[in-house]
Amino acid sequence: MHDPWADRLSEYLDDELSPAERAALEAHLGSCPDCAATLADLERVFARAASLDDRPPERDLWPAIAARISAPAAPRVIELATRIPAPPRRFSFTAGQLVAAALALVFMSGGAVWLLRQPPAPHAAAGPVPAGPVAGTSFVSSTWNGYDAAIADLERVLDLHRERLDSATIRVLEENLRIIDAAIDEARRALEADPANSYLNGHLVNSMQRKLDLLRRVAALASVAT
Amino acid sequence: MAYQVYRAYQVITGTRDRDVASASLDRADAASAARGDARAFERIYARHVARIHSLARRMIGPEDADDATQEIFVRAWTRIATFRGDAAFGTWLHRLAINVLLGRRASLATHRDRFIEADAAIASAPARPASTDLRMDFETAIERLPSGARQVLVLHDVEGYKHEEIAGMLGISTGTSKSQLHRARMALRAHLDR
Repeated sequence: MHDPWADRLSEYLDDELSPAERAALEAHLGSCPDCAATLADLERVFARAASLDDRPPERDLWPAIAARISAPAAPRVIELATRIPAPPRRFSFTAGQLVAAALALVFMSGGAVWLLRQPPAPHAAAGPVPAGPVAGTSFVSSTWNGYDAAIADLERVLDLHRERLDSATIRVLEENLRIIDAAIDEARRALEADPANSYLNGHLVNSMQRKLDLLRRVAALASVAT
Repeated sequence: MAYQVYRAYQVITGTRDRDVASASLDRADAASAARGDARAFERIYARHVARIHSLARRMIGPEDADDATQEIFVRAWTRIATFRGDAAFGTWLHRLAINVLLGRRASLATHRDRFIEADAAIASAPARPASTDLRMDFETAIERLPSGARQVLVLHDVEGYKHEEIAGMLGISTGTSKSQLHRARMALRAHLDR
């Protein structure tokens, strides 16, 4: 004969019975060793299930997940595309816009040449001009020296790891360096004629900073590439 | 009573985020992942893959656990921006995993012949193993339960959900959930007794 209380033992275990049902079942357990034994077993089953340990998969699932989320599986090497400046965006202009731009360029170039050829302003109120370079020029000169040293260090690092870079990276690097070096040479030649020109000094510092930044980025790229 | 001790354990660790520091890392990495940081998401994967894979293995079986785990993490990546931090990240991921796994139930059931009667399934389980292998054999016994009983047992006894919650997840009544749980426990009891 089937014991109806036997089907209620899990509910008793989970405290799902009403107080009256619970009291009745507890009274039954005192006189039914089968139900008492079954209850003890169910407790063991629950205890075992509640204490199961989690186990990782036998194989690494991350590469497949990374591929599906479009992420590199193990991006140990920095992607070149993220380090090299993107190619300039192509624009299209109307004929009128091109004419206006050309005229603006002519006026700006002419203005720059006119400014660079102006003699230094007379220091009427300040008395005689000091024989040596002005303080600002001295500061900028020492800054140039710092840049030169840093750039030379980075160039040595780059030469050391040059073979780690792919040809496309080297091509982009050399093209950028050619442009920056041209700007630096131009600024230096102009400064020989006008050492105190703050615009030219600033232009030179900016160009050297650009070169320094570029070399830093590429040297870092070369040092992590394998 | 042992049951009360283990119930307290499950209540205390309700989300099974056993490590508070881990929950804090989860929160930071989830924010980074929501901004597209795949490395942060990889760290989340490393912290949770054992739990998610174990859940998948128990819910739908070892054959499909790898595939389901991948699907869960890919789904988490696409939806991680919806994680608001109201609950622990582990809880959010766990619920997402349950939804994915339950969504696979129907298609899996159509081409499987594993869903046989509990007693027959348990009877075909390996003979009583050496004591050191007892836990693994218990896992095997769970995997061989009929799907309905297995899912209720995993959700209730392993994962700590209440019958009302399970009934909502599985689309069954609480009475059915209770009877399936009792059926699963009785089947496992028979196995343990051999």
